[in-house]
Amino acid sequence: MSKVLFRVDERLIHGQVVVGWGRRLNPNRIIVVSDSVSREPVEQDIYRTGLPASIEAVFWSLDEAIKGLPAVLGSNESVILLTEDLETMMGLARGGVPITEVNVGGLYASEGRTRLLPYVWFGADDKQRVQELEALGVRVVAQDLPTTAPVRLRERVG
Amino acid sequence: MTGRCGVVVAHGRLGEGLISALTRVAGSQDNLWAVSNDDLDAESLMADIESLVAERGSGREAILFSDLDGGSCCQACRRLLTSGAVRAVFYGVNLPLLIEFVFLQDLPFDEFCEALLKKSRGALGVHS
Repeated sequence: MSKVLFRVDERLIHGQVVVGWGRRLNPNRIIVVSDSVSREPVEQDIYRTGLPASIEAVFWSLDEAIKGLPAVLGSNESVILLTEDLETMMGLARGGVPITEVNVGGLYASEGRTRLLPYVWFGADDKQRVQELEALGVRVVAQDLPTTAPVRLRERVG
Repeated sequence: MTGRCGVVVAHGRLGEGLISALTRVAGSQDNLWAVSNDDLDAESLMADIESLVAERGSGREAILFSDLDGGSCCQACRRLLTSGAVRAVFYGVNLPLLIEFVFLQDLPFDEFCEALLKKSRGALGVHS
């Protein structure tokens, strides 16, 4: 049976993912679901830099992910799946990908966002996306690293 | 509790900065600390490292990470190695080296040293 960490992280593949979660979960694959990065080979090369040889990175559009994930979920792979935003994760859930929990690892400060946690800043629609995901039966939990305390975001957005 | 503890002994705020960065990627560590040589003579620096290991090391094997081989930090570390207060002194400390300390700290000593050096050396390079 596959093990998949579904994570929302604007930085996609970076230190916390490769070191913090990677050393804990030993993934054989990181799947980035991003319509934009899936079309940018140079960006993909940058994200692949520094990955240990034991981890393969693939970059899928949302449509490719909805088509490709059933085979992954039916395998015995260990995977970290990354999206840049809650909207893309919502797209996977709506597309029929069975997600029980979403890890929110990094949505960072920028104009117009509100701080929920040091590493979670919400834009105008993010509260609604959390509520929608929870309504679909998906737990939305903020946790940047395995060693930090998880926070159920439903309780932070009211 | 693991069998080893570590102290980053470095110039200026490098040690605390490295540990701050390490915390961001690998979580906070309860067995790794920083000491700076700012404003300290050699004996005071050695005393600071020694008291840190004695007070917080809880008898664990102490590993020191210094910055420049031959610099005053490294000299103080090597004197502590000679006195038997610590087990090993790495020099040229970088973030990849400390990451490996976190994850490989329970390996047998020789294997531990070899693995840390291999990873931290392999992490140096240039994109151009």
